[in-house]
Parts: sequence; C-alpha cells; structure tokens
Amino acid sequence: MYIEELTLTNYRNYNKLTVSFDQKINVIIGENAQGKTNLMESVYVLAFTKSHRTPRDKELIKWDAEYGKIEGRVFKRNQSIPLEVVLSNKGKKVKFNHIEQKRLSEYVGSMNIVMFAPEDLNLVKGSPQERRKFIDMEIGQTQPVYIHHLTQYQRILKERNALLKDLQRQFITDSTMLHVYTEQLIEHASIILERRFLFLNKLRKWANPIHEGISQGKELLNIDYNASVNVSEAMNSEKIRMVYEQHFKNIENKEIDRGTTLIGPHRDDLVFTVNDKNVQTYGSQGQQRTTALSLKLAEIELIYEEVGEYPILLLDDVLSELDDHRQSHLLNTIQGKVQTFVTTTSIDGIAHDTISQAEIFTIHDGQLVEER
Amino acid sequence: MYYPEPISKLVDSFTKLPGIGPKTAVRLAFFVLNMEEDDVLDFAKNLANAKRELTHCSVCGHITDTDPCRICDDRERDGSIICVVQDPKDVIAMEKMKDYQGKYHVLHGAISPMDGIGPEDINVPPLIERLKDEEVKELILATNPNVEGEATAMYISRLVKPSGIRISRIAHGLPVGGDLEYADEVTLSKALEGRRDL
Ligand SMILES: Nc1ncnc2c1ncn2[C@@H]1O[C@H](COP(=O)(O)OP(=O)(O)OP(=O)(O)O)[C@@H](O)[C@H]1O
Ligand SMILES: [Mg+2]
Ligand SMILES: [Zn+2]
Repeated sequence: MYIEELTLTNYRNYNKLTVSFDQKINVIIGENAQGKTNLMESVYVLAFTKSHRTPRDKELIKWDAEYGKIEGRVFKRNQSIPLEVVLSNKGKKVKFNHIEQKRLSEYVGSMNIVMFAPEDLNLVKGSPQERRKFIDMEIGQTQPVYIHHLTQYQRILKERNALLKDLQRQFITDSTMLHVYTEQLIEHASIILERRFLFLNKLRKWANPIHEGISQGKELLNIDYNASVNVSEAMNSEKIRMVYEQHFKNIENKEIDRGTTLIGPHRDDLVFTVNDKNVQTYGSQGQQRTTALSLKLAEIELIYEEVGEYPILLLDDVLSELDDHRQSHLLNTIQGKVQTFVTTTSIDGIAHDTISQAEIFTIHDGQLVEER
Repeated sequence: MYYPEPISKLVDSFTKLPGIGPKTAVRLAFFVLNMEEDDVLDFAKNLANAKRELTHCSVCGHITDTDPCRICDDRERDGSIICVVQDPKDVIAMEKMKDYQGKYHVLHGAISPMDGIGPEDINVPPLIERLKDEEVKELILATNPNVEGEATAMYISRLVKPSGIRISRIAHGLPVGGDLEYADEVTLSKALEGRRDL
C-alpha cells in the first residue's frame, strides 16, 4: 500500500499543504524545527488516530486554529481510498471512504505503518514500558480487537488498584468486589497474553534471520517473554487463565498489603539476547541498534504476512544514524516494495543509491517543495 | 459581550443544562424574550413542579410523582421478575419497547472505587432487602456494558447467587460518550446476544 496524496489543514506548523508522493522512496530534507517530524507524525496519526509523541490531541492542532485536519488517499488492494482525521477541542472524527466511523477498531488498520525514529534505537535499552508499547502497537494495528482488550484491561486495572488502596487502608474489609475485578482482569489478561505469544512467534521467525543477515552470520538473536506469572508460550488463553486464577489467589494478601496489582501483562517485559547474552545489559551500542533495526524490518514482513500488503515505512531522522552497512541492509529489504519516507537535515549521511532512486522534497517553515 | 442582568442570569441557567454551551444558551435566552408571556409562565411553573413533585419510588428507586410508583403499584405486572438498571432513563427506554412485563430496580449509578463509589453509595442495599421480602424468582441485570456496569452486575450476582434466585445479564445499548471508543465486535455482540445466565 502507499499514500498517493496527503493534505494537512491547520496541523502543527502547517497551514495548508497538499502533496503527492512517490510510490517508492521520498526523501524530505529540512533544517531543525521546520516540520519534518510533524509531517511524519501526521501520517502516523492518519493511520492510528493517535500521535506517537503525545497523548494530547490538542497539541496537534495549529496554535491559533479551532480544528486541524489530515486527509490522505491511500492506494491499497488496487483501490484508492480516502481517509480523514479531524481533530478539534470537542474530540476527533475519522472517516473511511468519506463515511464517519464511530469505532476506532473499524478504522485502525485501514493503513499500516512502521515507524522508525531515533527513540526506537532505545527500544532495547529503554524501559519495559517502551517494549510493551512496541508489542501492543504492532499487534493492535493488525488486530484491532486486541486494542479493545488492552483498553478494557487498563480501566479494570485502575478500578482494581483504587479498591486495593481502600482495602490496604481498611476503608473497606469485604473482598467480594476485589474478586469481581480479579475475574474481569483475568478475562482480558489471558487473551492479551495469548495474543502476545502468537505475535512473538511470528516476530522471531522474521527477526532472527534478518538479524543474522545484518550481522553477517555472527549474531544469533532471540526474543524472550518475561511474564509476571509462570506461563509458557505453548499455553492457550484457557490455560493461561487458570494460571492467573491460582496466582491471584496466592498473592491476595500481599496485594492488599501493597495496595496495588502485582501481576499481569502490565508488568511483563521482552528480553532480547544475542548469542545467549542479554543485549540490554551486555550488548554494545551497535548490537542494540542492530536489534532495534531487525525488529523494525521484521515488522514490515510480518505485516505483509498478515495483511497481504507491505506497510508504509517512516524513517524520521534515523537513516543517517545507521552506518552504511546497516543502511544498505535496510534498503535491500524495502527494495522498491515498500513506500518509504526518509527525513534528514542533510543529504550527506544518506547512501547515494537511495538518493538516486528517490523523490526529493525540501521543507521550510511548514512549506514543502518538490525538488525533482 | 454585555447583556442586561436578567438576560445574563437566564443565559447562566440555560448553560446548566447538559449539551448547552454559551452560544446556544444566548440563543435560547433571546428566544424566551419573544415567547408569549403565558407560555413563559407555564414553562417556569412546569420546571419548578417537575422538581418539587417528583421523588424517588421508595420500592424501586425510579422517579415518580406517586409513591410507590405506577410500575410498582401495577398488579398486572409480574412481580417475580426484577430488572436492575443504572438510571431512570433506562426504565423509560425499556418501557418504550413494551415487551417487558416485570418490575424494576434503579441503582442510580455503578460501583467505581476510582470515583469513591461503593455498593452502599448506590441503591444496592435496598435491592437486597427487597429480595428478602418479595417473592422474586428472577433478576435481570441490565447495567451498562462498560467496566463499571459489568463489575456492578457481577457484584450483585455474587451477593444474590446463594439465595437460588435465577440471575441473567442483559446489556442494553452500547456505551455512550462523545469521544471515539475502542470498542469492537465483542461489545456489539454482547449487546445483541441478549440475556445470558451469570
Ligand atoms: N500545534 C502547533 N502549532 C504550530 N506550530 C507548532 C505546533 N506544534 C509544533 N509546532 C512547531 O513545529 C516545529 C517543530 O517541527 P518538527 O518537530 O517537525 O521539526 P523537525 O523538522 O522534525 O526538526 P528536527 O530536525 O529538530 O527534528 C517547531 O518550530 C514548533 O514550534
Ligand atoms: Mg524531527
Ligand atoms: Zn417503584
């Protein structure tokens, strides 16, 4: 799939912008603070209806404007489909093929995106929360129902934690309500875990050979799931549920003592190892980058496997961060199959091959100019 | 914008209504100025009376001008089934469908520890009392299909189950709210599948 045309109205530092893109590689050159990330972000929002850098939609609307709008035409399954996201103080509206969609799960997945930004290089080193976000976003964009389970889980978790605080301070003593929330929580937790396991299996299948390729056969990547309960990836949601039920029973007093929920998908983590050594603790910066890159490239293939079309790849300020060898590996993978957006402050760090194939744009103060 | 005081006060009153912002309030206030005096007086009287004469039914908690309410008082209705809802609006919605012949119990809210609302803060204890006194065979839990509504239904179910009363769950309608929701087939099918035993 690819974006044919994008129109921004009152989005961040853009007043009005309409631009057509190349099906293959688009390189966007601009100095700092001219709107490169804003442009990438707008494509991301068009796909996910949420920004990758802020949870507050209001920040996306141009400062003096009442509303902001992103319109795009995405070409997919031999059809050109108009997509639209309107942001305003009153909330947001999304349209698929001019028809307003009331449920985000019916909209998300209309367009698939893989984004790779400098902060993703920290995926391996960063906090568990960042790795959970990575896995959740990726599952969510091909399985919207997963997002439903996650949001329900988060809401139940908040209620359950509030109740545990009340029990801890002995404002209440009856634990009936706690058991109700435990039952609700387990229902979603076991499905979330099952889907994460299935996803990981597929991710490994792609990431491991890719990593081996980038490292020229010197490194063997493995991805493990570190769960807060004793489960194995072979378990289905029914088995997982039983494990949770037992575990929650065992730790009930401890949870009341601490006043918070101590186990569940929100406490889990991913562990990356290279040649059986934990990359997070022992990996060199280069190994950590290779791991992050392998994961992103694996995502591209995984989405193709699930959706039947390649996603759109957004490389915000990250290509020049990769050495020539990694860059060429990346470009080999996308090889004319994946519509790619590359942003950079200077063309210097970017391989000649890329530039020669690409459509070049320069950006200045929210104005985009096509160079050739 | 400056308005004479009586208009400002009227505008202020209108903005207290749900869904009415300052612009609409101004429009409504000026509309009132052009209404017939009798209509305006009727309007004011009806507002005050609605508030003064309506109370909550001492049996089921529904809003009513008689106590017990007309539904509780209706001998034709089947007193062995009670449908538990969160809001008086839900009773009115159910009554519009006309095919339910049992009685109701209105909770006036749902349990939410986050908002500091426990079972005693809503109309749950009177429900338990009611089940002891009346000959109830079936309880239909029709709380909202969101986390709080589900949790409230499950709580009541756990409380009532030992008594042997049949308990079923019906989720009427879909979650309402201005903002987009990450809901999905699950919520929808839950709403459609109708009653299920808890
Ligand atoms: N809501 C908004 N309304 C108007 N301007 C905004 C808004 N949000 C951000 N900006 C402006 O957008 C600019 C930042 O754009 P962006 O982050 O896209 O820069 P960039 O080109 O990616 O720069 P860098 O190379 O430093 O990453 C800033 O000048 C900021 O003031
Ligand atoms: Mg940037
Ligand atoms: Zn009544």
